[in-house]
Amino acid sequence: MADTEVSLSPALRPLHISPAHSAQPPPTSSSSPTTFSCPSSPSSASSSSSSSTSSSCSESSSDCPNHHHHHHHHPRPQLQLPPPPPLSEQPSSPSASPRSSSPSGSIGSTGSLGSSSEGIGSSGVSSGGDQRGPSPLLDVISEDAMEMDLVVDQVIDPEVALKACQEVLLKVKLLDNKQQQDDQKHADTTDCCGPPWHMNPDTSSIREEEEENDDEGQRETPAAQKHTPPAASSESPSPSSSKQSWLLRLFESKLFDVSMAISYLYKSKEPGVQAYIGNRLFSFPDGEVDFYLPQLLNMYVHMDTEVGDAIKPYLVHRCRSSITFSLLSAWLLGAYSSDMHISTQRHSRGTKLRKLILSDDLKPRSDEPSSVSGSVSDSPLPSPPHHHRRHNSSNVDACGSPDSADQGDVFVSPSRRTHQRSKSDATMASGFPGAGLRRTGSNPKVEAVHEEPERLRPQREFVKSLFCIGKRLATLPTKEQKTQRLISELSLLNHKLPARVWLPTAEHQHHVCRVPHTQAVVLNSKDKAPYIIYVEVLECNSFETSPVPTRIPETRIRSARSAENLDCGTPGNGSSMTSEHRAGSFSTVPNYDNDDDAWATDDIGQLQVEGEAQTSSSDNISQFSVDSITSLESKEPVFIAAGDIRRRLSENLAQTPTTFRRDPEDPSAVALKEPWEEKVRRIREGSPYGHLPNWRLLSVIVKCGDDLRQELLAYQFLKQLQSIWQQERVPLWIKPYKILVMSSDSGMIEPVLNAVSLHQVRKQSQLSLLDYFLQEHGSFTTEAFLTAQRNFVQSCAGYSLICYLLQVKDRHNGNILLDSEGHIIHIDFGFILSSSPRNLGFETSAFKLTSEFVDVMGGLDGDMFIYYKMLMLQGLIAARKHMEKVLQIVEIMQQGSHLPCFHGSSTIRGLKERFHMSLTEEQLQLLVEQLVDGSMRSITTKLYDSFQYVTNGIM
Amino acid sequence: MSQVEKKAGLLRRTSSSKKPLKEKVVLMYDEIFAKEDPAKNNPRFWDELFLMKVNLEYLESKLESVNGEEVQRIQDNINSLFHHCVQALGEEHQIKVVNALQTLCALFRGVHQKNKSASGFDIINMLMGFDKAERRMKDLMERLDSLLCGDSSESLKSLCLKLLLCLVTVTDNISQNTILEYVMINSIFEAILQILSDPSSRGQHGYDAVVLLALLVNYRKYESVNPYIVKLSIVDDEPTLDGMGVVLHQALTEYNRQYKDKEEENQGGFFSTLTSMVGSMFIADVDEKLSVQTNEAILLALYEAVHLNRNFITVLAQSHPEIDIPVTPSTPTPTTPTTPLGTTPPSLDVMNNPELPLDPNLQTSNLLITFLKYASIVMQDTKDEHRLNSARLCLIILTCIAEDQYADAFLHDDNINFRVSLHRMPMRHRKKAAGKNIPSRPLVCAVLDLMVEFIVTHMMKDFPMDLYLRCVQIIHKLLCYQKKCRIRLHYTWRELWSALINLLKFLLSNETTLLAKHNIFHLALLVVNLFNMFITYGDTFLPTSNSYDELYYEIVRMHQVFDNLYCMVLRVSTNTGQWKEAASKVTHALVNIRAIINHFNPKIESYAAVNHISQLSEEQVLEVVRSNYDTLTLKLQDGLDQFERYSEQPKEAAFFKELVGDPMRSSLSLLIQPRYPSRFSFPRPSCHSLISPSVFLTIHSSAVPSVHPLSFHHRSIRPQPVSLLFLLRL
Repeated sequence: MADTEVSLSPALRPLHISPAHSAQPPPTSSSSPTTFSCPSSPSSASSSSSSSTSSSCSESSSDCPNHHHHHHHHPRPQLQLPPPPPLSEQPSSPSASPRSSSPSGSIGSTGSLGSSSEGIGSSGVSSGGDQRGPSPLLDVISEDAMEMDLVVDQVIDPEVALKACQEVLLKVKLLDNKQQQDDQKHADTTDCCGPPWHMNPDTSSIREEEEENDDEGQRETPAAQKHTPPAASSESPSPSSSKQSWLLRLFESKLFDVSMAISYLYKSKEPGVQAYIGNRLFSFPDGEVDFYLPQLLNMYVHMDTEVGDAIKPYLVHRCRSSITFSLLSAWLLGAYSSDMHISTQRHSRGTKLRKLILSDDLKPRSDEPSSVSGSVSDSPLPSPPHHHRRHNSSNVDACGSPDSADQGDVFVSPSRRTHQRSKSDATMASGFPGAGLRRTGSNPKVEAVHEEPERLRPQREFVKSLFCIGKRLATLPTKEQKTQRLISELSLLNHKLPARVWLPTAEHQHHVCRVPHTQAVVLNSKDKAPYIIYVEVLECNSFETSPVPTRIPETRIRSARSAENLDCGTPGNGSSMTSEHRAGSFSTVPNYDNDDDAWATDDIGQLQVEGEAQTSSSDNISQFSVDSITSLESKEPVFIAAGDIRRRLSENLAQTPTTFRRDPEDPSAVALKEPWEEKVRRIREGSPYGHLPNWRLLSVIVKCGDDLRQELLAYQFLKQLQSIWQQERVPLWIKPYKILVMSSDSGMIEPVLNAVSLHQVRKQSQLSLLDYFLQEHGSFTTEAFLTAQRNFVQSCAGYSLICYLLQVKDRHNGNILLDSEGHIIHIDFGFILSSSPRNLGFETSAFKLTSEFVDVMGGLDGDMFIYYKMLMLQGLIAARKHMEKVLQIVEIMQQGSHLPCFHGSSTIRGLKERFHMSLTEEQLQLLVEQLVDGSMRSITTKLYDSFQYVTNGIM
Repeated sequence: MSQVEKKAGLLRRTSSSKKPLKEKVVLMYDEIFAKEDPAKNNPRFWDELFLMKVNLEYLESKLESVNGEEVQRIQDNINSLFHHCVQALGEEHQIKVVNALQTLCALFRGVHQKNKSASGFDIINMLMGFDKAERRMKDLMERLDSLLCGDSSESLKSLCLKLLLCLVTVTDNISQNTILEYVMINSIFEAILQILSDPSSRGQHGYDAVVLLALLVNYRKYESVNPYIVKLSIVDDEPTLDGMGVVLHQALTEYNRQYKDKEEENQGGFFSTLTSMVGSMFIADVDEKLSVQTNEAILLALYEAVHLNRNFITVLAQSHPEIDIPVTPSTPTPTTPTTPLGTTPPSLDVMNNPELPLDPNLQTSNLLITFLKYASIVMQDTKDEHRLNSARLCLIILTCIAEDQYADAFLHDDNINFRVSLHRMPMRHRKKAAGKNIPSRPLVCAVLDLMVEFIVTHMMKDFPMDLYLRCVQIIHKLLCYQKKCRIRLHYTWRELWSALINLLKFLLSNETTLLAKHNIFHLALLVVNLFNMFITYGDTFLPTSNSYDELYYEIVRMHQVFDNLYCMVLRVSTNTGQWKEAASKVTHALVNIRAIINHFNPKIESYAAVNHISQLSEEQVLEVVRSNYDTLTLKLQDGLDQFERYSEQPKEAAFFKELVGDPMRSSLSLLIQPRYPSRFSFPRPSCHSLISPSVFLTIHSSAVPSVHPLSFHHRSIRPQPVSLLFLLRL
């Protein structure tokens, strides 16, 4: 088989393959390594000894410690490498050509290995084994390459196979280029940086690991044998190969996107396909793959080894390059692993990776490029992953190659330092050592947690303290106490900020600099204490490398403010606003007098050493300005009508935007009702950081004690449908809000801005929904009302479909928000698919459509209501068209899950059925009519609402 | 505490040890008080002296007993002793340092005791000698500074602070203490700040440090440039300011707790109420029981911080967990020798604990709230001088707060809501406020409540005019802020209005008695102007349009008071007398109120007549008011929203001089006892080598009450008269 591949490759050479590769015609497996690959390279060792077992691999690798050594500490040169160097360049470097061919050689050789179970076995061992060490992704990928090649060889049309390899080869070539450089360097550095003792710990550790993994490896090897040999021999090559070739063609096509990749990864039982896709993941933009992270991780945790092995390199690579990704993965892994106590072996898979991530062994080798391309280029470095990993960890952590470790240290040290301290002393960040030390000293607890990885620690502690607050709040009996406590807890948290922490829900890179604690409120919940906090952040280029902002003391704001007052010497400009808006969420209107400055002075003025002395005198002058002067100069008395005063009072009161009344039982209502813009401005003015141009306000809901995995699933579901509808240009409106699952019982939610629940609307306004619309947006014919109404209809249609498809239950008015533009937004997807609250059998209707809703839409006969139904039809048709995309999200997550939404066996089938693939569009229209009709008539909706009113006080 | 008491305490001690053997140290003291240079015969005399356990009583009494002529003779020796003390402070042996500190303390006290009338210069001469004084004091202050800032043991630091406190309080009037001039030159300000910024040292010495700072700030503050004032005013280090806040907060909380305990004690259960009822028939003054010694030094410190330092204002709003619950007689580990000496005790310090203790009963609080509660207690009873001074100081602090824009911002912040349960005086005509039902409101409501409470409860023959003026001015300042920032506070203004009207009524009915002592017209003018604020600017800060109607309703309802007031001021202003001008101001100020009364009263009467109703309901009156606004014209008055800003000088100078004078001193001598008894944690080895461990054991068992160092758990309300001297002897 190797022969076929090899023989074909030259033919294709001119087409696809770089000159470097063309120089690679390994006729036999045995010859290829010897000819082309570096003799010391472990890859060659593994490939050359076709019968070598994993142990032999490790031995061979241990033979050349220098080799991995350079792997490990040379990534810097890799980074500096220009991205894919022009192909012509490659042969130009003398040592390059032979070396560069080595990976392809290895491919060929593995191909020949294919039939031998050992080859696979070794890979099985390596992947099944705990990949604790920071496995340099290159090795693993090369391993995949081997595997893939093997499969390709067997079942795929060679021509296509080569095409398929193309991409990998391209990467290989890059890597080779690097490798040769490495090797050159390696040659230089061998003497100095390859200490002999290095070898021993390495080998021994590998041995150890092998022993550890022994049973695992043994168990898995047969599995792999069982699987692959048939593929190699018994399967009739022609039909399957043609099938596969189509598949490959698909994979190669432009249409092949992440969604499909995930789908095939999930469905294909073919290790080759899985491995290929695993590799392909590298080529997708990070953001696109990120969307499927829950799926990837769930597959990693719950599916067979092959899938896990295929995904792992990608995960490891991403973790290495990003703290954010590391933490997200770790959190999700923890959450998804939590369902499985029974199978400890499997359990260990997810948790092992999690441990690896959290152990911070995956910290970027000081120079690791964060871009995909850079590290992909590493991929084919053909060496058994094992010892590399080992090597890495032992090397970095324990002994450390002198030069890499040193350089690394030098390189990282500033940021490291901040990592270490940021939690305890924010001031530290920008050379303020004295204060920093003091602060550190004051917080012994932080010092104690030293074993935690530096890189991830600040963020983890930040998150942990937020959850601790939540837990403590839950013990308090009243909302008011909770809120007060929350505020004081957060004010303590503030002492530790700014730090290298960020809100994972945010779009942009930033550092959290302050939590305006008085703004935080506890949300409505019966026994848990979810709460919303507002977080001031400073945007930065890179969260990981940008310096943490310096702490500005809270008190500093005063001087800043008086400076502000100076600037606006001219009367009537914004200076008066400052004080007004700081004053709180009271209704304020621009001030007409300007005696503001009077407040800036006081008798300490003279003591102020700063240049305020002069200003205070000018302040004193202005103090007498408006009010007194007007009346002093005009000697005749000024008369005013009492009626005017009274009228102004009521007018002013009427003018102020409708705010909700403060209710100690529902503290969040006021906070959420305040327009976001307003809130941002207010908080900005009160913040010592507010003057910075990169200041932003974010908010997040911290939930602890709740499992947000279903929420996450719903988010993905919504997001997918949203993009489908966008793609199909159906103007349905939904608002998926971001979910962060941090464990199986905690997480964060991105709050929907400018939205309050229907319950709050009702309770506060005491109006019907329509009247509330009229109050907020104006009368029926106004532009504002019509826009709001359209928004309402579009969002209603969107959520009606969502509710139907996803069987969202527990739809009381506390779970439906209304935003300031008239959209409704459903929140709380705690009961979806197969689960419903307490199985009371309420809410049998497809979705919630009350007569109040219909009223807002203009009644049953209104155009808007017809539009609503039409939108639903269009939405359903569009969704149906892309059903697979939607279905797959749910299906994969069902794997190994004990979530209530997957209860029973028919969850997926039911979901599928609700897409009604078999119906014609006319029939669909009828269906929509029926659904709407049924929902409207549904007595259970009303019943459920009154049930909620009785039990939870939700109107 | 008077000197007599101290002596008494001293005598008790000496008498307990009958016929004391002449210790070696006493013999050595005797040598000092002989004419000869003690080191002449024994070159190691000074070395040995500081190895001896100090006998302060003897040394001090010896100093006191020296008569004028002798002084001249032994001055060299005393100078020498002082010199060696200072030198010993730099010793490595901690025990020498301790002894030197104590000896110094005895020297300061003894010399001052002896020369009460002597000028400061004589004292300096006697202690150090003029020529060397500057150098000696510089050395002393430097040594103290390095002891305080270094990592010497906590007890040593505590002793240093005690010595400084001793020095600061050794004269009756701090400003007469000439030695302090050297403390001004050689500032220990930084050392004090460092103590306050570090949580553990703050826990142990915070109280002393804060008091010391407050006193130093008051040294000749009006006569010369006091560097401590300047420095304190520019501190902007957050941890330090927070630390100061924490210390003040804890001290005030402790006071509030003591008061509460006492109050509960007084009304605990049916039986005790019965007995107290019976008892009260015989003992006139039940209230006496409720008086808890006020703490003027802490108030003074709070005042100086608020007044001098702009940045401190933010600390007022800093949340702390309320340490209201008495700390459970914490496992007495701290005093047992099992805990390794020298470790810092677990502190309740919020800055230290990133996580607040988990206790649902734990109310969060902040310094301002605690202060308001404190003020509400202090203001209840202003009969004795101390409490009057405390109440005055409280009002002054509130004035400063009300003037500060940042403070106003958070006072009015709708997001910072608290239930502040103020203490209310039990009065005949009202029930004791049901404390539980106070709504959670912005803090300014509590301030207003407090002011209303004061106004209502202090209309007495011995009229505290000064306090009333301050009180009304605070309200005015708050209103000005609200007007300026258009803050519509949801406050029941009606309570304030009726309190103010009642105040006017009181002034009227006691005109003659009050006029003998006070210018009641000034107060009346302020009150009337408050109404004018509401009348003319109500549209900018009243919460509802109804509240404006209610204002008119209230004025009309109580028109009699205003009518009488007008008559009175008119009468006084037409006569020639010293009040002529003041009274005529009030007549002018009343113009709008009179216009309202004259406008609406006939309308209401005719409404009643038309509708044949003898007694109009409130709603009906309001209706009349509402429908008749348009025909009423008001006069815009000048400067209603202007106020005189607070300035300590020259108006308050006398008060503060008096405050830091004798009364402060007497309350201080109480303070100087350790609030949280510092644990004496000498490094064991050095102690062992020098002194038998039994010395330390006795210290633990006797001098230090067995409480947690931070627990504030002195159940005794009136602290035992422990003299400074006694404490200094460890």
